[in-house]
Amino acid sequence: MNDYENMPDEQLVQLSLKDQDCFYYLMKRYEIKILRYIKRLTTVSHEEAEDIIQEVFIKVYRNLNGFNRKLKFSSWIYRIAHNEIVNQYRKTKLRLSMIPLSIDDEANLIDSIHDTIESNGAYENLENAEKVREALAKLPDKYREILVLRYLEDKSYDEISDILRKPTGTVATQINRAKASFKKIVRRHQLDKEIVK
Amino acid sequence: MADISKDILQKIKKDEVRPYPKQYFLLKRSVIWTVFGLSILLGSVASAIALFQLRYAEWDLYKHLSHSLAEFVLLVIPFFWLIFLLGFTGFAYYYFRRTEQGYRYAAVWIILLSIVLSIIGGGLLYSTGLPDRLERVFQENLPFYRELQERKQKVWMSPAQGLLAGTITKVVSEQKVEIKDLYGNNWVIDIADTIWRGRLKPAEGLKIKILGKMKGQRSFVANEIRPWKGRRGQGRNRHLRLKNKR
Repeated sequence: MNDYENMPDEQLVQLSLKDQDCFYYLMKRYEIKILRYIKRLTTVSHEEAEDIIQEVFIKVYRNLNGFNRKLKFSSWIYRIAHNEIVNQYRKTKLRLSMIPLSIDDEANLIDSIHDTIESNGAYENLENAEKVREALAKLPDKYREILVLRYLEDKSYDEISDILRKPTGTVATQINRAKASFKKIVRRHQLDKEIVK
Repeated sequence: MADISKDILQKIKKDEVRPYPKQYFLLKRSVIWTVFGLSILLGSVASAIALFQLRYAEWDLYKHLSHSLAEFVLLVIPFFWLIFLLGFTGFAYYYFRRTEQGYRYAAVWIILLSIVLSIIGGGLLYSTGLPDRLERVFQENLPFYRELQERKQKVWMSPAQGLLAGTITKVVSEQKVEIKDLYGNNWVIDIADTIWRGRLKPAEGLKIKILGKMKGQRSFVANEIRPWKGRRGQGRNRHLRLKNKR
């Protein structure tokens, strides 16, 4: 009997090409992750997010033969999800900015950013969720997405490079810029001072 | 809670969704690499002609002209072909980025690689004599190209600076010919002490370029006469001459 749940993605891809039912296990493995990724990047409702994930999985299935084994399957599926979000954005002009991150997501993001940038006191008191949300909402879309991939989806630079189809160097630069931009927004709007008060 | 994956699987089955065949992706990849290769090849042709024009540019004219070096360089640089080279490099970059791993390389490296490949390809094509033939074909068949090249040659209409060009209308004697310049004016040319480049001989209807000195109204002393095309008999007809020698 096949142990689909512990099978590597690449093997499941091969099996899915022969047997449609195997694709179910592949979808099940990524369902929550991709749904969460869509919600982190858009303002869509849960139902709309389900429509997007349906498109994503159908595209994944159609393109299974084109999966490049030099990539991680997870990077490939995130890339398709990213492209689908961009497509939806173009089609419906759905707003990618003002991401309604959950309180947990915000806390995680702030912790991660805080850990990786030199501490100069600006983030000491960024627990205030409203202010954090304000700072994040002011970030340009491309910076927000890269921060989400790096600190919430926990992707490496190489994986982000494969997802966004950008050179690793560019990814590193954008992450640094995103962090610097976040820092500037906090300072410009004196969010740190308000929070300290 | 609804099982989204199950619903999607059912939809896939109901709509009879099938994976695209492997050949589809193979064809797609082949088209991308082919267009990339073609862009490099056309870039090579452009750089071959640019090399050809640079090689046979009359750099020695600088001392005869009052233009600044920058102006002179602008005059002799084959911009037309360099623009084509850049255009094809742009295509090459666009398609390379669309290859499976293309996005992993920084734009600057892809552009540099494309230019280097085009220049290497251009060097190889140059050695086959192709640019010479292409130049001739373009000049014969593309009026705008001929006009563009001829405009560059208008630099030869600077008699005060010792440059004159035109067509011989009459061979008066071994010391004298008459020409009609590019603007239609008649000149008497003293050829008593002239070096004829490119094995030229005075003949009516021959289009020439003259280096020398203006002696008076419509009178010019020629120190050196070059064929209208090419420099010192090189360039345009070089390969034909080599063929004749054999």
